[in-house]
Amino acid sequence: MTLQIELNGVNKYYGAFHALKDINLAIEEGTFVALVGPSGCGKSTLLRSLAGLEKITTGDMKIAGQLMNNVPPRKRDVAMVFQSYALYPHMTVEENLTYSLRIRGVKKAEARKAAEEVAATTGLSHLMKRYPRELSGGQRQRVAMSRAIIRHPKAFLFDEPLSNLDAALRVHMRKEIRALHDRLHATSVYVTHDQIEAMTMADHVVVMRDGVIEQQGRPLDLYDKPANRFVAGFIGSPAMNFIPAIVGEGGLDAILDFGRTRARLPLATRLAPGLAVSVGIRPEHIRIVAAGEGAFDIPVGIVESTGSATYVTTATQPELTVVETGRGEVKSGDVIGLAIDPRQLHLFDAETGKRIEASPAMAASPPRLQLAERAR
Amino acid sequence: MAAGIHRRTALLHPLSFLPREAISGFGRDRPRRQGIVMKRLLSSVTDGSGFDIGLVLLPLAFLFVLSGLPLVYNVVMSFQEVDMFSLGSFWRPFVGFKNYVDLFSQPETRTILLNTALFVSASIAGQFLIGFGLALFFWMNFPGASWLRGLFLVSWVMPGLVVGAIWNWILSGDFGVLNFFLREMGVIEGNIFWRSDPHYSLWAVIIANIWLGTSFNMILLSVGLSGIPKDLYEAAELDGANSLQRFFTITLPMMRSTIGAIIALGLIFTLQQFDLFAGITSGGPNNASNVTQYWAWDLSFRQYDFAKGATISVIMIVFVMLASVVYVRSTRHEVRG
Repeated sequence: MTLQIELNGVNKYYGAFHALKDINLAIEEGTFVALVGPSGCGKSTLLRSLAGLEKITTGDMKIAGQLMNNVPPRKRDVAMVFQSYALYPHMTVEENLTYSLRIRGVKKAEARKAAEEVAATTGLSHLMKRYPRELSGGQRQRVAMSRAIIRHPKAFLFDEPLSNLDAALRVHMRKEIRALHDRLHATSVYVTHDQIEAMTMADHVVVMRDGVIEQQGRPLDLYDKPANRFVAGFIGSPAMNFIPAIVGEGGLDAILDFGRTRARLPLATRLAPGLAVSVGIRPEHIRIVAAGEGAFDIPVGIVESTGSATYVTTATQPELTVVETGRGEVKSGDVIGLAIDPRQLHLFDAETGKRIEASPAMAASPPRLQLAERAR
Repeated sequence: MAAGIHRRTALLHPLSFLPREAISGFGRDRPRRQGIVMKRLLSSVTDGSGFDIGLVLLPLAFLFVLSGLPLVYNVVMSFQEVDMFSLGSFWRPFVGFKNYVDLFSQPETRTILLNTALFVSASIAGQFLIGFGLALFFWMNFPGASWLRGLFLVSWVMPGLVVGAIWNWILSGDFGVLNFFLREMGVIEGNIFWRSDPHYSLWAVIIANIWLGTSFNMILLSVGLSGIPKDLYEAAELDGANSLQRFFTITLPMMRSTIGAIIALGLIFTLQQFDLFAGITSGGPNNASNVTQYWAWDLSFRQYDFAKGATISVIMIVFVMLASVVYVRSTRHEVRG
């Protein structure tokens, strides 16, 4: 596979504000990449830089092997779907679709034919004569996508394209965009703040925060092995539970700190005794058992049921969220036991937030190193 | 028994739209009942449609009394024989289209109508083109752009007679600045006597009027430009359009309603431009710079031929009406996504 998009050491400053910090990214041809992160993390800036709407301050940016740093947007041959759709309000759907072709001097009949072909695949054929203001949100969204498809660009750029749609339509369009990508195999970069969109649609997820790429990889790799506390908390819904803890004397268990109470939790790996860690447990990796039968007991705070799943929040500080499929019999005020598989724990350095690799093979030495680092 | 009679009368009562107790109350304990009627009326004003109707009626009455009636009076007058002695009465002898026929048989009418057409089209074209150019210039949003743009409004604040007086100096044949510049740049050899040369006198007023109206055009066009969403330009840029193509495919079509409104307003404003003529040429020499609006005033208030003055005004009303139709239509058909 050839690389379609390459970023090497890209930095972007707005005056003194450092918006993108040393971004390195390589996107293979035909991949669907999601840029995800909280608002203000720089994901939109990165996308707009790819489009050429923002100029990068330093670094190299290549699209299809060509250096793009000083190439204006209209010569980059990339298509963008805007959050606001940015449809031309004074043009009909057909005129919107054929705009880029007409600009390039494609003959009218040819442009119309191309528009009809694209419209047929996106279900817009009956709307060709309408104006954008006469369309629903979902239809506008489709026009925006079709306008990008008709050009056969080197890359598709999506800037939070679903955030203006209602929840049901969003789920539907998510599948539609993914299906479209599977058919066209076009390189796509998709910006979203919704980790579910990123996880479900993308081949490759890039998690950003404060202008830095925190982690990138396949969606499930990010879920299984988050590189740090931020990624761990960002990927997955409901969010991962974090409990401050200290590794016990033998180095084989963690003493969880719930403020007034403590709990002992066995680890799958040996760590340096006394090491301050943050223990991460995904809500779906905790099982509720009878009191005394689990790793530790805990009082129940709030119980919410959606019918298919039950969300139990404990009355502790910090509180834990547990997800159980089906309808549990737990009630608020009960004391329950929590069964936790040590292999499903995520351990993070309490100070740096970095993941502590819990592989049994590395049991002896690395933790001591961690401790030494902390001492320094 | 008594109540029954009251109820029956209430059905047929001319005031039956009023609350029943108000009507049935007439003649009985009247003061208290009247109090209720007043209360009802008042409450409809404070929380009902009464307030809305009041809001509409007030300006409508104002428009009717101060614009509608004079307009009708003017039209009626153009079909009458009016002189100094019959000016005070409304019932004057009707003469049909005699005033119109007389007017069009006058030798200067043709000149003045052509002058008006030239004055209006040249003024609007100049104001619009320069105004649009300035609006696009300030739209680039360089440091101090909005501040500078505000300064341009100064020309619009100045009274027409003052503007006329200043342009008199600028346009002056012997010591005028304009002649000086043109001469120094080698455009002209001898002085142009802008105000007294029949070939130039109308253009003298047009130049002053373009200066006066440009800033208004610029401000309205600036507002229109800033109403175009930025992402349309970004989308067009990604779609491969260069700046010239973006101007013709995005800016101009998106500005269509604004441009329509400005041209219509410009037509109205130039047709009522009077001060500059009074201040610069007084319509001379020999009607070379005379236009309908100045002529109407001259006929009515200097020659006391009120009927002809009214007749010209009626002809102008037709054009202004057409302009306002364009204006209303273009503001109604705003295209904004």
